[in-house]
Amino acid sequence: MDYVIQQALNALSFGAEYALIALGLAIVFSIMGLVNFAHGEVIAFGGYSMVMISTVLTGNPWFLMIGVLVATVLASLTLERVAFRTIRGADLTTGLLTAFGVSIILQNLFLLLGSPRPIPATQFIFLDQTLTIGAIRISSLQIYEAITTVVAIGLLLTFLRKTTLGMAMRAAALDFEMVRLCGVRANRVIAGAFAISGLLAGLAAIFIMARRGSVDPHMGFNPVLTAFVACVIGGFGSLPGAVLGGFLLGITEVAVLVLLPQEYGGLAQAVVFTLVALVLIWRPDGILSPAQEKGDKV
Amino acid sequence: MKFRLNAGQRQGLLGSAMLSLLILLIVGAYSLWGETYQARILYATFVNILVVVGLQVFTGNSNLTGFSHAAFMGIAAYAAAISVTPVAMKAIALPDAPWGLNAFELSPIVSALIAFGITGVLGLLTGLIMARLTGVGVTIVSIAILVIVHSIFLHRTDIFKGNQAFFGIPKIFDLSWITALVILAIFLARLFRESSFGLQLRACADDEVGARAMGIDIYRTRLIGWIISTLFFATAGIAYAFFLGTISARPFYFNYVFLTIAMLILGGLRSVTGAVFGTLLITIGLEVVRWLETGPTLVGVKLPEMLGLSGLLLGVVIVGVMAFLPKGIMGNREIEELFRRKPKA
Amino acid sequence: MLQIKSLKVFHGPIEAVHGIDISVREGQCVTLLGPNGAGKTSTLSAITGTVRATGSIRLQDEDIGRLPIEERCKRGIAISPEGRRVFATLSVRDNLIMGGATRRDKASLTDEIEEWFSQFPVLGERREQPAGTLSGGEQQMLAIVRALLSKPRILLLDEPSLGLAPQITARIFRIIKELKAAGTTILLVEQNAGAALEVSDYVYVLNNGLVSRHGDVAEFGDGAVLINELTGVQQ
Repeated sequence: MDYVIQQALNALSFGAEYALIALGLAIVFSIMGLVNFAHGEVIAFGGYSMVMISTVLTGNPWFLMIGVLVATVLASLTLERVAFRTIRGADLTTGLLTAFGVSIILQNLFLLLGSPRPIPATQFIFLDQTLTIGAIRISSLQIYEAITTVVAIGLLLTFLRKTTLGMAMRAAALDFEMVRLCGVRANRVIAGAFAISGLLAGLAAIFIMARRGSVDPHMGFNPVLTAFVACVIGGFGSLPGAVLGGFLLGITEVAVLVLLPQEYGGLAQAVVFTLVALVLIWRPDGILSPAQEKGDKV
Repeated sequence: MKFRLNAGQRQGLLGSAMLSLLILLIVGAYSLWGETYQARILYATFVNILVVVGLQVFTGNSNLTGFSHAAFMGIAAYAAAISVTPVAMKAIALPDAPWGLNAFELSPIVSALIAFGITGVLGLLTGLIMARLTGVGVTIVSIAILVIVHSIFLHRTDIFKGNQAFFGIPKIFDLSWITALVILAIFLARLFRESSFGLQLRACADDEVGARAMGIDIYRTRLIGWIISTLFFATAGIAYAFFLGTISARPFYFNYVFLTIAMLILGGLRSVTGAVFGTLLITIGLEVVRWLETGPTLVGVKLPEMLGLSGLLLGVVIVGVMAFLPKGIMGNREIEELFRRKPKA
Repeated sequence: MLQIKSLKVFHGPIEAVHGIDISVREGQCVTLLGPNGAGKTSTLSAITGTVRATGSIRLQDEDIGRLPIEERCKRGIAISPEGRRVFATLSVRDNLIMGGATRRDKASLTDEIEEWFSQFPVLGERREQPAGTLSGGEQQMLAIVRALLSKPRILLLDEPSLGLAPQITARIFRIIKELKAAGTTILLVEQNAGAALEVSDYVYVLNNGLVSRHGDVAEFGDGAVLINELTGVQQ
């Protein structure tokens, strides 16, 4: 029983992290149809900004957290301005390849200006302590992660429902041109999406740094690949879908690790991706995505 | 003759001949002035041409971006390597291989055929899925294939050695072999592009609903395109293993995928000429940058060592082409069309 | 109020409107009539800025022809577009808030929305429902009110009767009449010539991207002439 609870918590915290990152991808996708693979490098940039701030300014972890969040929001906004504005309105493949290109550029910039080796940054490790409740041993980080994700989703929902910009973002996901016809500046909506996406990346960066205690140029790539899969499973561009997909993926991953014999641990990713392929064959647009008619009059 | 060529294909023969001439000129220049270490670079370039031309066959004509080519290339490379490597060598390289994989050795031709067959069958099986998907679905499932195959390579170290080198593969191919293969590939890809299947694929890319309404069986057309391009990747994988002598899982992953896709889109994915030009341009560019990376002395100035510069350049090429030259250098044109005086209306 | 000179509209490489002049005076209701493909919607799109166009578009002596879509809305152009395009998953109220997105006086916006709700109880009763659940006629009302909430100088209405039952169409045209009576300047695009003539002051007939006829509504007294012209079987 304890084992089950422990694994359930594991699944929850994995899922929370994927959901955070997947939301960051989905919010940008829903508005401008861009699969932003460079999101992972925004996360990595969060890690590097932590190193920079702690060497130049202060190592105070609370200050650092704010610094990381500010840095990732700025990085995300900069990417939109510099790289993604020129391809606004381009087709999906163009967007995808551009985002991959940006991701490669950033990874190599980290390599050039930073180091190919992991740089230690351990200020957040204190978040990760082992708590013993009865017979169950859990990591405090997992609890923080789950709570933060829930709070972040709640705040995001409130923002999207209650503020004019939030409404404009929901409306833009349906009909961007109509939103502009209502006088809302396109740049503002898209910048809003990237800022939120950056904030979510910052949160993810904090948790990833707390777990790893070091940053390297490629650290964002795999989490984003997984989050991308989460988005796909949930239905791309659907925010609830991204959250659902994230948690489903967390559960699947833990289930695969628990159910498969130890020596097959390396195949967890393969199993997850096989499931994704199956989901896509079953429902090509994802679980929570309404079936789309092709050839409708636009 | 059983196969009659259509007008487009006859024109394609001309274009392919011109591209082949270019390839032969490069080989000729190498044999006159080249240094030995450059043979390896040239060989790698030609393997890349095989892959990029293969990408052109599916991605270029259908405008559906696949990411799994490195996986198919890897499968073919390992299949060929495992079949052809002598038993004595495998006893050292793969001491724990299951199913008697280290207890047989086959001739290069049979090994290549086996690798070709295995990859082809996998191409057929994955193609059955791929042909049903559209747009981003193809990209995602192809990424899934890439990740699945890679994790199997890494996981079954008893068969594939993972990131360590699988060594002792006899060196079977040389530069003349790969040159012949590249020329063959260029001809085949061009003939496919101009064939009715190629035309149908391109029609679907432009207007899927319209193409369907014209009675095109999209499913069958995509499947055929996918399988054929898989066979190009298989050839590239076999050529890779038969030359280098050692292989490992590392090159058959995202980095190589991005490299080859950058080559394709720089040249212009809708034309075979674009695929060849893109490959050559990026290869040359990367060689220059790799040399800069080592921190050479330039006009008396010692440049610092700059790791990551080549990757940076690759990313810049992708982003730049996408932003400013979305159709690539060649766009929809082929080489022979460059020499026409005036485009016909 | 609105002055359009030698307007050409392009859809990609195709020229849909070949140089037309249109003017709308303050308080007027001007109608563009014409068959499918005559360039009516293209003209409205050129005014709102959603298609590529050349020529001059002046709103109260300011050339707005080069401004982005959002800025034109801020200058006082609002549209109830073809197909209504309400935000289907947003609530009725949120749709209206989007209509007033450019306004700074949020408090009076809320009051105005409440006023509209009391004027159109069908919308008021469903204020929390997703707009996609409304009927076609209700969605059309919503789209018109949404456009009005930006306090436009000129209201563009693109085929407000499209796909609606006759009674509903009549209802919509009553609303248009009331708006006109209240002093709203309107540029209307319609295929329903009879209903449109009743509310208009001035009419332009478009055919194949050109103005084939224009004049005061009184000159169009004979409906038969117009119908011939619209269906393109004249002469």
